[in-house]
Amino acid sequence: MTTYIIRRILWGIVLIILVSALTFLFFNVFPSADPAVLRAGRNGSPQTIAYIRHELGLDRPVYVQFWNYMKGIFLHFNFGYSFYSGASVLDLIKDRLPATISLTVGAAIFWLLMGIPIGILSAVKRGGFLDRTAMGGALVFVSMPTFWLGLIVLFLFADDIGQWHVFPGANSYVGLTVSPVDWFTSLILPWFVLAATSAAIYSRVLRGSLIETMGEDYIRTARAKGLKENRVVWRHGVRSAITPVVTIFGLDVGALLGGAVITETVFDIPGIGRLNYDAIIHSDFPIVQGTVILAALFIVVANIIVDIAYAYLDPRVRY
Amino acid sequence: MRGSRSAIAAAITGLLAVGLTACGGSSSSSKSSASGGSSTTSGVQSIPLKPGENPSGQSLTGGKKGGTLTELSNGDFEHLDPGSAYYALDYQVVQATDRPLFSYPPNSASTIRPDLATAIPTTANGGITDGGKTVTVHITPGIHYSPPVNREVTAQDVAFALERGANPNVGNAYWPAYFGSASPAPLEGSTASSYKGGPLKGIQTPNKTTIVFHMTKPGAATLISALSLPLSSPLPPEFVGPLDKHAPTTYGTNYLVAVGPYMIQADKSGKVSGVGYNPGKNETLVRNPNWNAKLDWRPAYLNEIKVNVGGDSTVIGQQVLKGSDQVQLDTVAQAVVKQAYQQYPAQITFTPGSGMHYLTLDTQHGVFKNVNIRRAVYAALDRAAIVKARGGALVAEPGTHFIYPGSIGYAQAGGAAGPSVAWNTNVNGNVAEAHKLMVAAGYHSGKYTGNDQTQVVYGQGGNGPAIAQIVANAMTEIGLHPKVSGVDQSTMYSKYCGVPKQEIDSCPTAGWIRDFADPLSILLPTFYGPAIVPTNNSNWSQQNDPAINSAMEKAAAIQNPAAHAQAWANVDKMLVNDAVAVPEDFDNQPNIESKDVAGVNMLWNEGTWDLAFTSLKNP
Repeated sequence: MTTYIIRRILWGIVLIILVSALTFLFFNVFPSADPAVLRAGRNGSPQTIAYIRHELGLDRPVYVQFWNYMKGIFLHFNFGYSFYSGASVLDLIKDRLPATISLTVGAAIFWLLMGIPIGILSAVKRGGFLDRTAMGGALVFVSMPTFWLGLIVLFLFADDIGQWHVFPGANSYVGLTVSPVDWFTSLILPWFVLAATSAAIYSRVLRGSLIETMGEDYIRTARAKGLKENRVVWRHGVRSAITPVVTIFGLDVGALLGGAVITETVFDIPGIGRLNYDAIIHSDFPIVQGTVILAALFIVVANIIVDIAYAYLDPRVRY
Repeated sequence: MRGSRSAIAAAITGLLAVGLTACGGSSSSSKSSASGGSSTTSGVQSIPLKPGENPSGQSLTGGKKGGTLTELSNGDFEHLDPGSAYYALDYQVVQATDRPLFSYPPNSASTIRPDLATAIPTTANGGITDGGKTVTVHITPGIHYSPPVNREVTAQDVAFALERGANPNVGNAYWPAYFGSASPAPLEGSTASSYKGGPLKGIQTPNKTTIVFHMTKPGAATLISALSLPLSSPLPPEFVGPLDKHAPTTYGTNYLVAVGPYMIQADKSGKVSGVGYNPGKNETLVRNPNWNAKLDWRPAYLNEIKVNVGGDSTVIGQQVLKGSDQVQLDTVAQAVVKQAYQQYPAQITFTPGSGMHYLTLDTQHGVFKNVNIRRAVYAALDRAAIVKARGGALVAEPGTHFIYPGSIGYAQAGGAAGPSVAWNTNVNGNVAEAHKLMVAAGYHSGKYTGNDQTQVVYGQGGNGPAIAQIVANAMTEIGLHPKVSGVDQSTMYSKYCGVPKQEIDSCPTAGWIRDFADPLSILLPTFYGPAIVPTNNSNWSQQNDPAINSAMEKAAAIQNPAAHAQAWANVDKMLVNDAVAVPEDFDNQPNIESKDVAGVNMLWNEGTWDLAFTSLKNP
């Protein structure tokens, strides 16, 4: 197992370097606004633009820029500086990351607490009223775009613009250390919006997986041995059936930690997603690169954790 | 400046666009009060403004002191350094924290007044001498910087601030056009290619309160207008100089000082980043403790202004309309404009003269080298449809020439109707006239018979695709073969339309906002031949007619205001006559406030809220 983990970590580093290289390539090959021109302003003279391009290192060959960038990361943990504001990319990411972590972790708990019980109940009561209602509801939530759902919940439940003044609305996010109560209440609606679609998907996936697992021979054996149905379902059925859920959970959390840009925008939460979006608008490549590396890192780590979790959940899996 | 604010806002709000259709009724000019005025050119009926929606009559006095105003904005600031600021949102903050030599009062888009200066220089008061080549300005003594600088402002500080405009680390966008090598009347010493800031022969400070500007040619009128830009706001060299050594300068991003009634909240060292300024998140303005109300013409009623950046424009609009003590800083979503007009008329204003858009036509390459083909496109284009695509008659009116409402020379150039040439008179598009012009161009069938494609590049956000389609239709009517491509608006400027060697035939979503009321700032950067540069070019049509260039140079040198305005109006007529571009629309900017805000709009700055005059009704 230890050898496996070390090997995965090393391959993860290779993957992150590859992702960085591809991002460099895309930024330089596909049409995007010239950051030196944007920085110089609308009437910037050619001399000013050339000077800015030189100061930002954009006049060097792409492979030299990439080499210098990778050296900066590995030797100095320096992710560069924003073309736009001059701020340190690492500082900007550190400033925004808590909001994204708050949003992701809370939403993840939400969707697990909603999706898993609903999926299990639907599988156990398959074909019944509960199953049909739950799966119908899941289909509805899967079909709802996050942006639209976010606006709807604001217009219904936000305490400033909603029909019923229940929860804090957009632009109410505060840090956990500033006020834990306000932090929690400000995230209820965003958590719900982010969790709704995922919970629906997870319930459907778990239902299908559990129905299949409950038809296995070893489940029949467990019942034949006289085990209680609850124990059969939880200890034997769910334990095997949940592995696909673990897979997608790892990917989902990893991806969200890279920034839930739509939810952050609708609710005005200053997270990584919005940082990335603003950077793309301004062709602020260092920030784009930094957030891409961060997202890749989260995906790699999430996948490693998922693979380790498999070994504990499913005794048939060995590394 | 380029119309980036409109473009970016449109990109973000375009998904929820609800076109406002004209609803008939009595016509009114967007410049007058709701009680009426001349109708616009046929095809687009104006929608009457309700009482209070036209900000021209706002009172600047009588506000209540105190309270905290909250500004909500989807878009962020670009630069808070007055040397770099070149965007409507930046101007709002800079106007509250800095003091240029001259300013526009909020209720005027065309009449300049002294700000840091004691008077407008004229020939009569000795401020303009040497045939208009020398301008002398005296500054008000006793004005102090905010902490940690604290000391009194001097004329040397103004000189330093202006000179740093040439420093590439500051990246001032308009230094070359109004003070340097691209200006018709550059400051002495500014045109040397080696000049990158520092003491300049053309700016002298004989004492602590006097600045003397020396130009190589007569250009006093334009220089005085240009000194209303933030670059002329004083800065302390001992504080800013070391920061300017960084590339880019860290003044404006990490550190700021103020001379106006407000300052961005800072720590004891003057550091604002992480204190009162968090890019992409928020900003807090507090009172400048060293501000002396007796030495300022602005009342500064508010105690504090909090700016929150980010969020969805539709949600922001709802929060402002239904909330309290709030205004929206950036462009209002189209759906919210409609709702506010219908349900909250006392909380929305429409500011005319907020810029314009036009269809550029490459006059140096391809089919549009032929003036009659350009005129044919002009005639065929349905400008009324473009107004509808932009959001309707409340937010736009058909463009009929290039000096837009509120600017000096607008009336002399023809006002709402514009020059009465055949290709300009019908804003709905006149295909028959277009065919006649194609015959004059040498195509006897009335349509283009060649095989060349016409490259059209537009900005994809918001209503860009709809406008590009309207333009493509017009071109197709006269037999052209438009090849239409959509890219991000910034990319459109920086990689295509703003790069002459790309030879893009036409850009339908180009826009321009003037820098000051002098029509030079509308016509010179965009249509003056010597202003063409290899990158970041703003003369998108690459207009380089010697007669037009010469007319601009002569107009810039005229000091008499009436003659100056008429000369530029004549240039405008020449541009329309040559159809160097097609004016699409004149913009009216909507702005919203909560019901308990007594907002005052800056007519000269797209109607953004003037923080030094706005107050709360119940502080």
